[in-house]
Amino acid sequence: MATPTIVGRVLRSSTTSFTVGCRQLISEQDQRVPEFGALVRAEAKDGNLIYGLIANVTIEDDAFVRQLVAAGVESAEIIEDQRQKRQVPIVVDVLVAGSGRALEVYHRLPAQPPSTLDQIYLCNAAEIVRFTERHDWLRTVLAAVEAPADQLLISALRAAAQARPPDRREAYLIAAGRELAKLLALDLARLDGVLRGVR
Amino acid sequence: MGSGGPGYGGVAWATLPGQLREGGPVALELNKLTGQVVAMGQALAQRSDELRERVDRARETLGRTPVVTDELRAKIRRAREIDEWRRGCIPLGNCLDERCRPVVQPKTFTLIAADGSQVYPDRHGIAAYFLLNTGTIVLRAGSGEAPSVESAPEIFYADEDLYDADGQMRTPEYINAQRSRREIAALAELAETERTLLGGDLSIPIVCLTDGPLLPWQGQGAAHDGTLSEEIDFFARQMRRLRAARAIPVGYVDRPNSAYVLRILELADLPPEKITRESLRRGPFLRLSDRFLFDDLRPNERGALFTPNSETNDRYEQASGGDRIVFTYANMSRLEEARHSAVARIELPKWAVDDPTLLDTAQAAIFTNCEPTSYPYVLARAHELAVVGGAEKEGLEQMLFQAMLRNGQMPEISFKAANKLLTGGGRRK
Repeated sequence: MATPTIVGRVLRSSTTSFTVGCRQLISEQDQRVPEFGALVRAEAKDGNLIYGLIANVTIEDDAFVRQLVAAGVESAEIIEDQRQKRQVPIVVDVLVAGSGRALEVYHRLPAQPPSTLDQIYLCNAAEIVRFTERHDWLRTVLAAVEAPADQLLISALRAAAQARPPDRREAYLIAAGRELAKLLALDLARLDGVLRGVR
Repeated sequence: MGSGGPGYGGVAWATLPGQLREGGPVALELNKLTGQVVAMGQALAQRSDELRERVDRARETLGRTPVVTDELRAKIRRAREIDEWRRGCIPLGNCLDERCRPVVQPKTFTLIAADGSQVYPDRHGIAAYFLLNTGTIVLRAGSGEAPSVESAPEIFYADEDLYDADGQMRTPEYINAQRSRREIAALAELAETERTLLGGDLSIPIVCLTDGPLLPWQGQGAAHDGTLSEEIDFFARQMRRLRAARAIPVGYVDRPNSAYVLRILELADLPPEKITRESLRRGPFLRLSDRFLFDDLRPNERGALFTPNSETNDRYEQASGGDRIVFTYANMSRLEEARHSAVARIELPKWAVDDPTLLDTAQAAIFTNCEPTSYPYVLARAHELAVVGGAEKEGLEQMLFQAMLRNGQMPEISFKAANKLLTGGGRRK
């Protein structure tokens, strides 16, 4: 089995969201990590899993990097140093979307949030398919207050479709769209926005 | 001299980001300082005028007597004999006012920098220890790749590390010397590794930077108790390693306060018979720095070469079998105006300046690396990797606290330290 891609480590957490610090925008496996809308998981010591969606990525700055920007830095090596090696983390906000244990997935909030410095992994295609098999997670995302819920939903649904074999992607999106139509029956403008984004 | 008089030679305080200027709560009662600050402002303005006048005189002397005559050399020797602690220097060339720019401009080169920081023993703390942290960076210019960076922290707690032979707690000078040793040894090791990685290819220059002077610095007492000799021997060994790896060691002194060249200029108008300890210690250019004299260097221009006329340098010459540390002043700013000049003292071993290509290469490499901020980027990063801030020190003490508890000890700080913790947040009335 391939080594799971590490997004970073938990800086702070709560039942509904957690924040991860990571050092680079490219993983050791040369993947673009972290990406908005990606499904990630934390694993507690007792084996419980916490699933979440990357809802925001912030690249922090500091006085040093501001000075370099103001001075108009040109050197490729200095730019790469600032991007890859600085001790200023990239901050990733994750919306908790569910929990689980081994191959079981529950679309409900975990009993406990991940702990400080827990490693956060990127879910692979099989895990994404397993997590999105039922559509109850859509409700959690729609209810998110502090995340850009509609855009997050669009990105997560597209990723979920992409994780499936090509011949099953459309069927998946249609089923998810039906679920959304039920959830957003009283807000047709919002439903229209999400469906257009997914298409 | 720039229009603003002798410059600060750094980043204008007013241009720093707000959070760097504004501290936390302060206990200082500023209202009680109003009168003193007004008087201080006036005094500073007066001093600036007086300074400008004396810098003009120094510059006039330099313009009038730029040639290094036999008579001047004799005077320099005489001044050293009369007052051995006078920090003078000996010109290597025949002109004090020489100016030149590097004629080579390497596109591909490797810059290595090392910087260390320390936590001194605190007799009021939970345990006796000191900490050294060495930050290093290897930047391969022209590769387009991120540099290699590392920091190496070490904690010293054993009796033989903490106490000298007389049972006295190690002094800050001792700890500083250990830090300097690690810096120069890290440069030598990284230079050797880099040269090996290059497959011995000598076409790619390696320039190794330390923050501050190259020579080990010790208090005046050290010269007599053997400590200085040990430090010099260690330093000479590392310099030999660097030379063997064909790496150019450079001590980079930003905003130097040295007045080596001014000490020579003070002798220019002093007849040999009037060179006395009193006349030397009342020289007309006291409290000035050479950087004022050289702030009209153009970008990437350097002045003449000199070698410090010091006991430490003499001892290094002995230990190294004939090498000496030499220096020049160079302007690392890209801006033409004198008020923006970034005059640095650049120190190198004499073998490196004997080959003009090596000196040019080192200067050009450093100037390129100074591009964003008029200060070597690699030194700024090495410092960043080394520095132990308040939060890190607190984290370390927490770890130590836990480790002591696990071993059945109840860590305690002194009453004084405990009270400082209680009152440190600001004063109440």
